[in-house]
Amino acid sequence: MSYFQWRLKGRCYKLGHDVPHAGGVIPNSFITGRFFDPKDLVPHLFEESDPGFHTRAKPGDIIVAGRNFGMGPKMNGYIAMQALGLGLVCESMPFLAYRAGIGVGLRVMTDCPSVTDICETGDELDVDFSTGLFVNRTRGITREFPPLPDALRDMVRLGGNSGWLKDWWKGQGKTKTA
Amino acid sequence: MTAAEKIIARASGVPAARAGEILYPMADFAMIHDGVVMGAKQELDALGIDRVFDPERVVMVTDHDVVYLNERAVARGAFNRKAAKAWGIKHFYDAGYGGHGHIFPMERGLVTPGTFYLDNDRHCTNAGGIGALAIRVGSEISRVLATGTTWTLVPKTVQLKIKGRLKPGVYARDLGFQLGKRLRPGGEFGVDIDYRILEFAGELDQFSLAARVSLCSTPTEMRAIGVFFPPSSEIIAFSKERAKRPFEPVYPDADAAYEAKIEMDVGSLEPQVALPGGPHKAANLSEVAGTRVDHAFIGSCGSGMYEDFQIAAGILKGRHVAPGVRLLVTPGSEDSTHRLRREGLLEIFQEAGAFVLPAGCGPCASGRMGLIHSGEISISTAVANGTGRMGAKDADLYLGSPATVATSAIEGKITDPRKYLN
Repeated sequence: MSYFQWRLKGRCYKLGHDVPHAGGVIPNSFITGRFFDPKDLVPHLFEESDPGFHTRAKPGDIIVAGRNFGMGPKMNGYIAMQALGLGLVCESMPFLAYRAGIGVGLRVMTDCPSVTDICETGDELDVDFSTGLFVNRTRGITREFPPLPDALRDMVRLGGNSGWLKDWWKGQGKTKTA
Repeated sequence: MTAAEKIIARASGVPAARAGEILYPMADFAMIHDGVVMGAKQELDALGIDRVFDPERVVMVTDHDVVYLNERAVARGAFNRKAAKAWGIKHFYDAGYGGHGHIFPMERGLVTPGTFYLDNDRHCTNAGGIGALAIRVGSEISRVLATGTTWTLVPKTVQLKIKGRLKPGVYARDLGFQLGKRLRPGGEFGVDIDYRILEFAGELDQFSLAARVSLCSTPTEMRAIGVFFPPSSEIIAFSKERAKRPFEPVYPDADAAYEAKIEMDVGSLEPQVALPGGPHKAANLSEVAGTRVDHAFIGSCGSGMYEDFQIAAGILKGRHVAPGVRLLVTPGSEDSTHRLRREGLLEIFQEAGAFVLPAGCGPCASGRMGLIHSGEISISTAVANGTGRMGAKDADLYLGSPATVATSAIEGKITDPRKYLN
């Protein structure tokens, strides 16, 4: 099994409540245009609120969002986040948005109450998605949040739905009779 | 257990399922529609996965793009036919063979009480009208096609008890808009319906199968992952006549654990419309009565059962749509279209000046056919009326019951259907 980094150490990028996927995360034209290639999507992540975000983001940085993040069951923005090596921690998100994030292999923790109260953009964070341990090194604050469920870790580790399928087909899938 | 927990437990091969746990229920079948077959097939092909989990347990439907209106759609149709052949799909309902994927499978006995299936499209919640459960998996449909399952978080259930009876001239869709208003975040039910099952209870004998299917629509738009009606004896009899396999109706246990219990007295409800912007923007029809109508549409998975067209035809009989109004009628299934002809309803629609489109999603499938222009006003039974759903972004889209849409088309303005009901 290849090594997978469940613990991310990086800077906080804080967003508010009710950020919609279309417009808030990535311009709507990339959703309706059905763009799924990270190369096309990465330059446009958070473009409407913060042009050039992708040039400043570093692998390990963590998006921290408020309630109801990423409305709309779309995955285009999560593809860009995953490609940039980012993680996502939010107070809540619609279930289908969560499903879309997991489906592209994004490290996500949701249901982290008041997480936006304990960090600001630029803070140094250390978040373990497999244990739920959330540490803000800048402010010396530690919280335990619900981790990414065990049952979903294979999917994330393997890079999402396609990665999971690839692995499954290599193993049992190919030999199993239909 | 709630009904949904029981159905998921059965499909997962476990004695009990509880809300909050993650299980891998095997779908009785997987359903995929014409818009996403290409993406799923290309994803699986790229991985070398050249088969589906069971060609007899995949249902492919063509309902979004039934009449190809551009070259991309024609190419997609051709691709889908090749895909169905390559995979050896037994249940391939191409354009002209089935109709709306969330309507005809109930009529054909593919979806029966207790059925569990996985679908790429969220409107599969219609299955709850007949007492089945279908869960939307989005792009993970590729995994379901390959393996027959995917991870499933067992949803929490909210029980809604219906009290009282709808007045004549007030229909399930009217109630649905009002439910949407009360279920929305901050709405008066005070519940979070995101990824919940809405399980109906109370005075349900007033709701036919068609009415129950209609009631699945607006809660879905409010992000419910499922709706469930305990099947009546009429519905069980209906399914017995058609069932493709044996089935076992499912009912919730008396001690089922609900996240919340809410109730609504429906006895005083007046005919409703949904104002432009969303199906939850319910208002008494009287507030907008007299608003000009240019475009009217009856159909969609929210109002696509035969009875919906019977109600509309009953009002249109012997009448004609107003000058300048175009009324589009999209039956939910090919079987319904034939029945409309046999029972003389097709003639009523045609004599009334309506035009009947091939069965499927019709104009509700996001801007594909029967569009409207800037500044025009539409009233329809579509599932949603967000900006631009039927074409121009600055058109006004109202929603109403089939009776309200038919009446408004005759009058050329939004009109209470009770004007023509005795």
